[in-house]
Amino acid sequence: MKSMVVRRPSHMAPAGFWLLRLGPWTQLVSRRSFVAGALLLLLLACACLVSLTFGGSRPIPVKDALLVLAGQGDAVSRLLINTLRMPRILAAVLTGAALGAAGCLMQTLARNRLATPGIVGLDNGATAFAVASIVATSTSLLPSILALFGAATAAVLTFALASGSGSRGYRFIVTGIGVGAMFSALTNLMLSQAPIDAANRAYPWTVGSLNGTSAVAIRALAAGLFFGLPWACLLGRQLAAMGFSERVSISLGVRLGALRMTTLAATVWLTALGVAVAGPVGLVALIAPEIARYLAKQRGVPVLNSAWSGALLMVVADWAGRNILSPIEVPVGIVMAIIGGPYLIWIVLRQPDRRVQ
Amino acid sequence: MPERSRHLAPMLSVAGVGLVLLCLISLLIGAGDVGAWRSLETLFGQGDEQSRFVIYGLRWPRTELAVVVGIALGAAGVLLQSVTRNTLAEPGLLGVSAGSSFAVVMAISLGASASSLAFSVAVLGALIGCLLVMAVCRLRGVGSDPVRLILAGAAFSGFLSALSGLLLLRDQRTADEMRFWVIGSLAGRPVETLYAALPGLICGLILMLPLVRPLAALALGEALASSLGHHPQRVRLGVLIVVAMLVGTANAAAGPIGFLGLIVPFMARRMVGSDIRQTLWLSLLLGPSVLLGADIVSRLLVSPYELPIGVVTAFIGAPVLIATVRAQRLPIL
Repeated sequence: MKSMVVRRPSHMAPAGFWLLRLGPWTQLVSRRSFVAGALLLLLLACACLVSLTFGGSRPIPVKDALLVLAGQGDAVSRLLINTLRMPRILAAVLTGAALGAAGCLMQTLARNRLATPGIVGLDNGATAFAVASIVATSTSLLPSILALFGAATAAVLTFALASGSGSRGYRFIVTGIGVGAMFSALTNLMLSQAPIDAANRAYPWTVGSLNGTSAVAIRALAAGLFFGLPWACLLGRQLAAMGFSERVSISLGVRLGALRMTTLAATVWLTALGVAVAGPVGLVALIAPEIARYLAKQRGVPVLNSAWSGALLMVVADWAGRNILSPIEVPVGIVMAIIGGPYLIWIVLRQPDRRVQ
Repeated sequence: MPERSRHLAPMLSVAGVGLVLLCLISLLIGAGDVGAWRSLETLFGQGDEQSRFVIYGLRWPRTELAVVVGIALGAAGVLLQSVTRNTLAEPGLLGVSAGSSFAVVMAISLGASASSLAFSVAVLGALIGCLLVMAVCRLRGVGSDPVRLILAGAAFSGFLSALSGLLLLRDQRTADEMRFWVIGSLAGRPVETLYAALPGLICGLILMLPLVRPLAALALGEALASSLGHHPQRVRLGVLIVVAMLVGTANAAAGPIGFLGLIVPFMARRMVGSDIRQTLWLSLLLGPSVLLGADIVSRLLVSPYELPIGVVTAFIGAPVLIATVRAQRLPIL
């Protein structure tokens, strides 16, 4: 049988891809995922605009909102948008992006779509440490740093405890559930011991809420994401080679051990950033990569698209939480759990064996 | 069977002695300033007014409640593991407790008062949770994979607790009533709670008795069980009703206390092997022992304050969960 080797000139990209070239670096960009990314960004912009204008105690016309964004507009709208709504939407976008990208990395790393940071206990670890810092002290930057330690501790614990029996498959996830249960018990313990006002201050961290996010925390999140997202994209490119069997990826030049460690570190970094601001809204990390993968319809690690769809989800969930039961504000964590819970159950029951990639 | 009695009798007596000792410790030791010696004097009828109130008014109901809840949750754990054939099955992990908590939250937010209705509603919610678990077990592929059932249960619990959170947000009165209930605690429950819990427990235990032999037969396989004259479907349904009664009762009495249904069967299997005709009896003693032990620890660890007991059981139970998963081969029931 004749082997069918289609030779293409080296500068030509395969069908459906664009080849970007910058000096010695080249990158294949799938047209479909590029279009999907553009679509997600467009939707995100629309969602942000809707969230700025509709709802709340006082709707603002779209024209006024755009005027304020351009630096004009009347004082009341400017107050509402610049100091009340904008930081909140910014927080939603940034946390959603961080959690979405983290979920995508972790799913690919564990080769299991259920292995998201929230399910394997990272969120609970970060929450426990953040609550510890709030209960013990009252500064606003500390929770972010401590959340990082918490997420790292939980990740190390889960991976170490699951390593003996092979870190893939469902055992890894159940180990993560156990680790998460311990950390959430720790959180409960601290909340029960704390004086009542400290416990109230820590409450948003336990359900996941964007209410009263401080400007400092958002700035820290933005700075962390500025490094974290490109890092995640680079890793995603290398992880794509792990879609093959381990042997093939080793022969493609991937250093598996090092790649696993750095991916885990990036996941911890992104998760901690998100959780430190919004609390444990773990289901974003499950759903966002699913949307990205569905839109792209191709093999690969859609880190950026996951980030965009995570941001979109968070903005929409936050807007819904503020407006559905209008005088009462439903924390974004509860909205996400109600949307995402049935989806998670459906994944577990219906499509158990479809692995990521 | 000689082998059976050889193992079971000494273990039962060890567990029984342990339970009596723990009851005594639970009466003698507390977070307050009535120390062990004064408590002992009071028990022999010589204490003053204050220490008598502490012993008979506070510690005695609490100890009894721990015994009742421990029996219910331990037996429910063994039964649920046996009927799902899954050593990871636990009422809390599978969402049975979440179902009953959600039912109670819903009833209270619809206007029921907490104490009167809670038991029947909690049992009903637990029953719905049980039926869902069983339906999921019958799905192709899920029943044979112990771990996936747990995942589905965790997802279900998360969903229900979010719904409960939503209901609590809408209604401040419910939130105030539920805030302490949802943590799970043995402290400060009135004696009436204990009396209200007893009928559910006794009914559950009596209904359990005729199910033990069929369950042991069912462990040999469905075909063999039916050829021995049992009806697998009926047995399963009966077990689910019993589990719902026990879990709902425990839940309504003390709030959700996680992981006890995992720890107790784990210990019982270690002590007498995996035959349910032995583990079940042992669990009736081990359940209250473990819960009392956890309660005593929760009183002593940060005295003069107290830990929520769910925290202590989670710290014991999560390692058990991980150890069970880490075992090379999950033990098949």
